[in-house]
Amino acid sequence: MNLSAIIMLIIGVLLIYGGLAYFISRALKH
Amino acid sequence: MEERERWKRRSDFIFASIGAAIGLGNVWRFPYVTYQYGGGAFLIPYFVALITAGIPLVMLELGVGRIFQAGAPQAFARIRKKLEWVGWLALLAVMIIFLYYSVIMGWVWNYLYYSLKLSWGADPRAFFYNDFLKLSPGPGKLGAINWSIVIGLALSWLWSYNYLRRGTKSISKEIYWTVTIPWIILVIMVIRGLTLPGAVKGLNYYLTPNFKALLNTGPWLAAYGQVFFSLSLAMGSLIIYSSYLPRESDIANNAFIISLADAGTAFFAGFAVFSTLGYLAQTMGLEVPNVISSGFGLAFITYPTAISKMPFAAPFFGVIFFILLLTLSIDSQISQVEPFAAGFMDKWKFARKKVLPLVVLFGFLGGLFFTTQGGYYWIDIFDYFTCSFVLTFVGLMEAIIVGYVFKASRMREYINEVSEIKIGKWWDICIKFITPIILGFSFIWELKKVITKGYGDYPRWTTNVGFALVLLLLVLSIVLMSIKGKEEQ
Repeated sequence: MNLSAIIMLIIGVLLIYGGLAYFISRALKH
Repeated sequence: MEERERWKRRSDFIFASIGAAIGLGNVWRFPYVTYQYGGGAFLIPYFVALITAGIPLVMLELGVGRIFQAGAPQAFARIRKKLEWVGWLALLAVMIIFLYYSVIMGWVWNYLYYSLKLSWGADPRAFFYNDFLKLSPGPGKLGAINWSIVIGLALSWLWSYNYLRRGTKSISKEIYWTVTIPWIILVIMVIRGLTLPGAVKGLNYYLTPNFKALLNTGPWLAAYGQVFFSLSLAMGSLIIYSSYLPRESDIANNAFIISLADAGTAFFAGFAVFSTLGYLAQTMGLEVPNVISSGFGLAFITYPTAISKMPFAAPFFGVIFFILLLTLSIDSQISQVEPFAAGFMDKWKFARKKVLPLVVLFGFLGGLFFTTQGGYYWIDIFDYFTCSFVLTFVGLMEAIIVGYVFKASRMREYINEVSEIKIGKWWDICIKFITPIILGFSFIWELKKVITKGYGDYPRWTTNVGFALVLLLLVLSIVLMSIKGKEEQ
């Protein structure tokens, strides 16, 4: 994969799955 | 007074809402739109759309359902009696959608069977249009009913009936399966896709950013469209599901989870689709753009072509792909049928056991129209007019009603009262300004396009039929509002 695609992949993963993990963890704590 | 049914657990509601949001579009539309509008750069307008319209509208619908404890028509009627028709319009649009959606599920049932023997052979395109659909020359010629599709249609409705027959109780029982199975299958498909030669080439097309594309309006409109339709907004689904929530339930955090789970599924599905397309391009000696497709083309032509070329266990990958489509679509189908049936249960206090069989029978009989040889064209036409005009209009009205009639600040205060995560004034701005402007612009844009050019390559009269359908739904929504409900009599 070219570098720019890899960077977008990392950004996408962090934003989507990072965000999802964050909100799920808050829901579980609450 | 009979007590309203309730979700037993928070996770029942979240899974049902995620199931409503995740559908065929996540697999067959998002990856293509991403590729088409700037690759990885599309994630920027997509996130902007998600934060400024998608998540705020999900919160709005969850808030409306929770406060008013009713489906869309009764909820809007409780804001102002004369606005009940907006809710009915949403349910009538969803009725048109479930009529043809169940037929597409009928196709998938057939293809699940065909994939056992890879029946589409060397030319999946000819198989789909000629052998399977037996497509008529145009929408003016309906031709005969296709009985194999009718069997698939019946299976879809039997499944939906079984899913909904005991309301939240039966939904809660099945939803965990039909939401998690697609994820398991997607993981298998991504692993399979990534280990095929040429996969990286496909992924480069999916994710390589083209930031220049963002200077056009195309990617931005596409991002808002993708977010709006993918989250099943303006269909009354989230409103009815939210109305079954216990009173102390959270709204803001649930909205984030539902929206991000939908985005996460779409993003992940892109890896399964584009890695396989990369492999297909390599085996056919073509460039990736020559094999890229979306919608029906991807599911029933391109993917079957790739499945036939799998180095081993081709039928297995065919079967899991169509199980993926079936499990994705059943949750969406029930999220369309439930608000429609509940509209009648809420207003006239009909029992579920009386309304549901009638809706299922109506859905099956109405769906027969789309099982004809010309049905394919009408699915395309009805889908366009219902989504581009009716749903967009309902979404616009929802934002205006809550933003200006009910007052956005009042709704925000309510959401904050019950939510762990507090939302700020940015939410008011999204609901009062950004969402109405985007949806209004999109509505006028499509209207102008279709008035000047007509829809697709179809004869002009089909565009008139499309507008007649929109008008009919509007009139029917006012008629349904005018008939007195049980509480009013």
